[in-house]
Amino acid sequence: MDDLLAARATMGFSLGFHIIFAAIGMTMPFFMSAAHYFYLKRGEEAYLELTKLWMKGVAILFAVGAVSGTVLSFELGLLWPGFMQHAGAIIGMPFSWEGTAFFLEAVAIGLFLYGWKRMNRWVHWATGLVVGISGFASGVFVVAANGWMNAPAGFDWIDGTAQNVDPVAAMFNRAWLHQTLHMQVAALQAVGFAVGGIHAVLYLRGKARDLNLKAMKIAMVFGATASLVQPFVGHFAGQRVAELQPAKLAAMEGHFETGPRAPLYIGGIPDVENRTMKWGIPLPGLLSFVAHDDFDAEVIGLDRFPRDEWPPVVITHIAFQAMVGIGVIMALAGLLFFVYLKRGYFPRWFLWMLGAFIPLGMIAIEAGWIVTEVGRQPWIIYGIMRTKDAVTPVPGMVYHFYLFLVLYLSLAAATVWLFKRQIQAAQIKFAGGERR
Amino acid sequence: MIDILVFFIGASLLLYVLLGGSDYGAGILELLPGPASLRERQKHVINEAMGPVWEANHMWLILIVVILFMGFPMIFTTLMVALHIPMLALLLGIVVRGAAFTFRHYDAIQDEKSQRLYTCLFGLSSLWTALWLGIIAASLNRGIIDPQATSVWAAYMAPWWGWYPLAVGVFVACIFVFLASIYLISETTEPLLTRRFKRMAAVSNCLVIIAGGVVFAASLAERESLSAVFFRRPPTVTVMIAATALFAALWFAVRARRGWLTRVVAGGQVSLILIGWLLLYAPDAVTTVSGPLSFYEQAAPEATLRQLVLALLVGSVFIFPSLFFLLRVFKTKTPGADDNDM
Repeated sequence: MDDLLAARATMGFSLGFHIIFAAIGMTMPFFMSAAHYFYLKRGEEAYLELTKLWMKGVAILFAVGAVSGTVLSFELGLLWPGFMQHAGAIIGMPFSWEGTAFFLEAVAIGLFLYGWKRMNRWVHWATGLVVGISGFASGVFVVAANGWMNAPAGFDWIDGTAQNVDPVAAMFNRAWLHQTLHMQVAALQAVGFAVGGIHAVLYLRGKARDLNLKAMKIAMVFGATASLVQPFVGHFAGQRVAELQPAKLAAMEGHFETGPRAPLYIGGIPDVENRTMKWGIPLPGLLSFVAHDDFDAEVIGLDRFPRDEWPPVVITHIAFQAMVGIGVIMALAGLLFFVYLKRGYFPRWFLWMLGAFIPLGMIAIEAGWIVTEVGRQPWIIYGIMRTKDAVTPVPGMVYHFYLFLVLYLSLAAATVWLFKRQIQAAQIKFAGGERR
Repeated sequence: MIDILVFFIGASLLLYVLLGGSDYGAGILELLPGPASLRERQKHVINEAMGPVWEANHMWLILIVVILFMGFPMIFTTLMVALHIPMLALLLGIVVRGAAFTFRHYDAIQDEKSQRLYTCLFGLSSLWTALWLGIIAASLNRGIIDPQATSVWAAYMAPWWGWYPLAVGVFVACIFVFLASIYLISETTEPLLTRRFKRMAAVSNCLVIIAGGVVFAASLAERESLSAVFFRRPPTVTVMIAATALFAALWFAVRARRGWLTRVVAGGQVSLILIGWLLLYAPDAVTTVSGPLSFYEQAAPEATLRQLVLALLVGSVFIFPSLFFLLRVFKTKTPGADDNDM
């Protein structure tokens, strides 16, 4: 592995790790607040137990998210000094707002976790909600910064340096809106399904049924709503990508030749050597429609770009297909959820299915970020700076990568183990409570 | 604009050392030996004292990083390249430490074996991180950082290698233990624990003085010894004299059992030491072989600085009242609120 690849792998791994915790950290406080609200309104003990159960989850995941986020803020400089040297001044603004939001979140989480008996109960409830709102806001800011890498704005690039810097224009770049919408909805969707699925399985196993059913419903209302909104947001995002980064769209779709009535492929593996798509099912004209709302529109293919400006086509295409496929499945499941919620009865097979869907949303988020990041290659700032020109001159990046690989894998293992113990202990406690 | 930003960096650093520093010190304290039951109760006190605030205390460091990379990108990237290895070590410590502390508190099954592992990791990583913080601080202005260096040693090792950075690391760790001990004295009403914390405070106070002497001695081997720099800057000398003079006030406050007075005096001492150090090199953030990188010469374009200052000021409007609220809620004793049903 050369230094550039090692740096990219380290960054990718760090982001891939952080995004899971960030997604949970910015959405689960809302689930928790909803349960807390029902407890305060209706006084049912099960909602209080649920609030506390989720609170502990939020506390653990927030801490892991916070430390892995700290790592990322350093890694921007440790891995990509060439990038930060120019980009810091341009795109620092959303980061400074993110810092503010994150700070508020850290204060609010301290108040919520430890403040149960120390303040008015509605004030206490509000601190929990602030955790969610500020977490959500910091997610928006960070993704806006990423949007700038895809659609650079707010500066003039003259002789290899940025002139006439306008940080406000940089933050509200052409990609910020679709990327933040897509990500925030995805977070609600993935976490709603994951949490709902876990409680569905616990319900089926006959443990603390009342509590687990309530938990599943709260989480799935968020998750299912998001899954139904997401196709529209995704379509909007796709159109923006077609306009801003045609090379990325072409790689996503494995679209080699520019032309009208471009087909959309279901499945398939791009054959980069021969510039064709193998084993895919073509739906003629659909890509033109998706990208430009017109079955006959011309869609720019990879042939319009020099070979050294192609993103890795195979990875981008497969990741994109995985994301879309999962999105479709989840939207259908979301629809079913509302049907059964209205009927007031959930069949067992549906609950088992939710259990099987626990990891799907997170896989889709990872796949989506692979599309965004790998699909932007070879650029770190699209059209301006190549990734290889931004990487640190420090040698031996491979060891850096292995160090973080080991660190993050052990952290992930520890977190999973901790959650198993959490659920184990909670179920024993609640099972005892139900008999009363 | 730059003045405001430099002020924010200095203030954040100060708050990080005072607040985050006592959290590190608490971790190091848990490494020190003692009777098992006492250590168990000490753990409980530390959990209660740190739990609500440690995330917020940690934020000051992130604030510094953000101000640096947005407002002074050249300084940020120079540091991240030349001090890549110590920064990596620092990060490793931060990750392990935060995870161990949270895991210890929230593990649903509190068996002895896993608890001991968390405590051990928490303590070791606290010590480790404190050392590297000191090493990084010492490396900034040694004048060895060489962005043009071609050999691995000159570019990535020499800037932070040597007795002097290590001595500063030890000094920082001692200061953190001192802060934590002082802070914890009035966090408990248990006589045995109070006595332990007082003893630790006295011991670490002596260690701070010894380690400070070692720092000066180690700096003799530097390109320019610390005392040489020191006496060229009268404000630093004044500040250091003031810090020393406060010892009398400190031990009076400890003896008189005036909890808050003790904290204020000890915090004042550490602040003076830090301010003295900052004044040594101000306004140079980093000194490279070809000269210092000053905050005033390396700043980002004006438009960026304006936005950064705006974010910081708006942020302060939200953050300071909420921090104040946090402290008020947790630092006023409510009867019965202590045994939280976590």
